[in-house]
Amino acid sequence: MDSFAANKAYAEKISVTFPLLSDWKRQTTKDYGLYNEVSGYGSRATVVVDRDGIIQHVEQGRTAIDPTGAYQVCDLLQKKKSGPSKPEEKKP
Amino acid sequence: MKRLSLAIVLIGLFCLAAFGQAAPAPPQTHLKVGDKAPDFTLNDTEGKPVKLSDYKGKKSVVLAFYVLAFTGG
Repeated sequence: MDSFAANKAYAEKISVTFPLLSDWKRQTTKDYGLYNEVSGYGSRATVVVDRDGIIQHVEQGRTAIDPTGAYQVCDLLQKKKSGPSKPEEKKP
Repeated sequence: MKRLSLAIVLIGLFCLAAFGQAAPAPPQTHLKVGDKAPDFTLNDTEGKPVKLSDYKGKKSVVLAFYVLAFTGG
């Protein structure tokens, strides 16, 4: 929910190579169930969405800062995309 | 002495009631593995709209909700 300007400044500072989006209206954060109406702030989370638009991984809270889980899921998705590995041929 | 102790206990209870309330519980997402990801369109740093469903059939997407990460808040 950072502002467009804050995101832009940060993106330029670290030269990000991925889209850095601003949910200024908080609608997406609400849709994903990550918005606390009482405090007015969102919760941190990492969500992996596969090519079919289906959620494959959800990590919420302080541990969401660690990308290990998301990385592992992406690795699995990549292998899934490549298809099952061919069985080794047995030599006579 | 008993009165003083009672007063201290009462003050302690008052402080607990007034200030010791736990912070509001963080929201818990209703989404789980296997659910359809809610679609969204948000602007990137150049003001260009980015739509999640535009990646459907093309790429997997990692969404990192990193609230107030780049501001002083």
